[in-house]
Amino acid sequence: MTQEMEFKMIVAQYCQVKPEEMKEDMRFREDLGFSSLDFMSFLGELEDTFDVELEEEDALKVLTIGEALELMKRLQEEG
Amino acid sequence: MQEYYPLTAAQKMHHNWILKYKTQQVSGVSVVASLKSPLDFGLLKKCIQLEMERYGCMRVRFTKPDAKGEVRQYIVKKDNRDIPIKDLSGMSMADADNLMQQWAYETFEGDDIPMCDVSMMRLPEGYNGFFIHMDHRLIDSCGIVVMINDVMQLYTHYRFQSDYPDDLADYEKVLEKDLKRANNEKRFAKDKKFWDDQLDALGEPLYSDIQGPSVLAEARKRHGNQKLRAADIELKNLFVEVKDYYLEPEPTKNLMDFCMNHQLSMTNLLLLGIRTYLSKVNDGQEDITIQNFISRRSTHDEWTSGGSRTIMFPCRTVISPETDFMSAAYEIQNVQNKIYMHSNYDPALIEDEMRKRYRTPENTTYESCYLTYQPMPVKMDNPHLANLSQHSKWFANGAATKKMYLTVSHTEHGGMNFSYHYQTAQLAEHDMELLYYYMMRILFKGIAEPDMSIGEIMESV
Repeated sequence: MTQEMEFKMIVAQYCQVKPEEMKEDMRFREDLGFSSLDFMSFLGELEDTFDVELEEEDALKVLTIGEALELMKRLQEEG
Repeated sequence: MQEYYPLTAAQKMHHNWILKYKTQQVSGVSVVASLKSPLDFGLLKKCIQLEMERYGCMRVRFTKPDAKGEVRQYIVKKDNRDIPIKDLSGMSMADADNLMQQWAYETFEGDDIPMCDVSMMRLPEGYNGFFIHMDHRLIDSCGIVVMINDVMQLYTHYRFQSDYPDDLADYEKVLEKDLKRANNEKRFAKDKKFWDDQLDALGEPLYSDIQGPSVLAEARKRHGNQKLRAADIELKNLFVEVKDYYLEPEPTKNLMDFCMNHQLSMTNLLLLGIRTYLSKVNDGQEDITIQNFISRRSTHDEWTSGGSRTIMFPCRTVISPETDFMSAAYEIQNVQNKIYMHSNYDPALIEDEMRKRYRTPENTTYESCYLTYQPMPVKMDNPHLANLSQHSKWFANGAATKKMYLTVSHTEHGGMNFSYHYQTAQLAEHDMELLYYYMMRILFKGIAEPDMSIGEIMESV
């Protein structure tokens, strides 16, 4: 499984959209129905799954699936 | 082989209250759910028994406490208890509610016993349904709403051939995941750092009381310490009264629209209303802490696994009177968002850290107010029951561990209910009237003029 698909499968646990139907410009709150608590819990799960450390200020600027994926990749590269 | 598990942080919170206040009563949760319709009680019994198979949290039991008072939990495979019918149809609804209120005060006494009682109810005015009394370590209010809906989906499946409800998540699997996450050392260190950093930055919190600064002054006198920043907890007389206030649909809509238009959550707006009141009645105190309950249910599995996932964390903000209402709301939201990210932490450890750092005396607290915002109404959300009138009611367990506990929920007609549970040892209904009156004045002034400063709002209301 690609990392992107693993990421989308985690997103799918929090919403009604299937991983294969997710698009990069989908917004967590408006399009996927995440509450603030959902979003922050989701970030915690990303940290545990992909072994990255998210800075709260950076994480709070993330609005879309694409932005979250990009942040994840950057953090993994910085490693 | 039977697996035994430690309690999660949320369960420990209730367990610690039982130990501290020496009664299981503080951990009771009770609700009645009924419909104005005849029910097939034979079928309803089958559905409740089926629910006990589907919803693992109903089968949770606790071992005998060890020397430190700690227990472990396990899930029995079957619970074949009979579900009795209780007939209160000859009473008035008020008398029936009063009797069920008495049942809500009852305790589960003993180890390795079921911590859940369900009775089918014949109620006055043609209402029929069921009454649930459980230990909060097994379930929280969201979990109860899921259970009620699942029972009625089972009922309408067998009665009207509607779709069989989807499977509920396995309680044990979700519990194992929670415990694994709590034992993740890296995460624990990060969460601890967040809470410790807050104390490093702001220092010792300062108590603020609904009744004003005299309460802290009295505690200072009692402890012979003029610098004391915490006040005493009531440990003996835990009796609590409940006062409900109803906010009509139109003003409710105004609050909700304001939240939506400003990307603000209702919890944070309510926290701002309470903290501004506390600041107003405590000579403009800027450093205010309120305990806010979070229902940690985000994933599908977390929503449908039952269990006790509600946990409280201190929401501490230092807001100057010059801050405008909108900025103050966002400041609270910012703090709350960070708390959500660190809500895996055991809040008992925050208290331990404060006691260690500041030598806070035993049985004192920094908070007088507790808030739960409950977006989910207790309503049977089922198309087959849509046209039937419902009578649902939460019953207080009668023994509050908190001086004032406000639950805000939405009503089925679009309004909001503000339910104030207050310890009668120190508070009276008049205190709740003042709190509600000023909270509303503050909130509606603030949403009408969000650029107005907090200080101006406090003066004008």
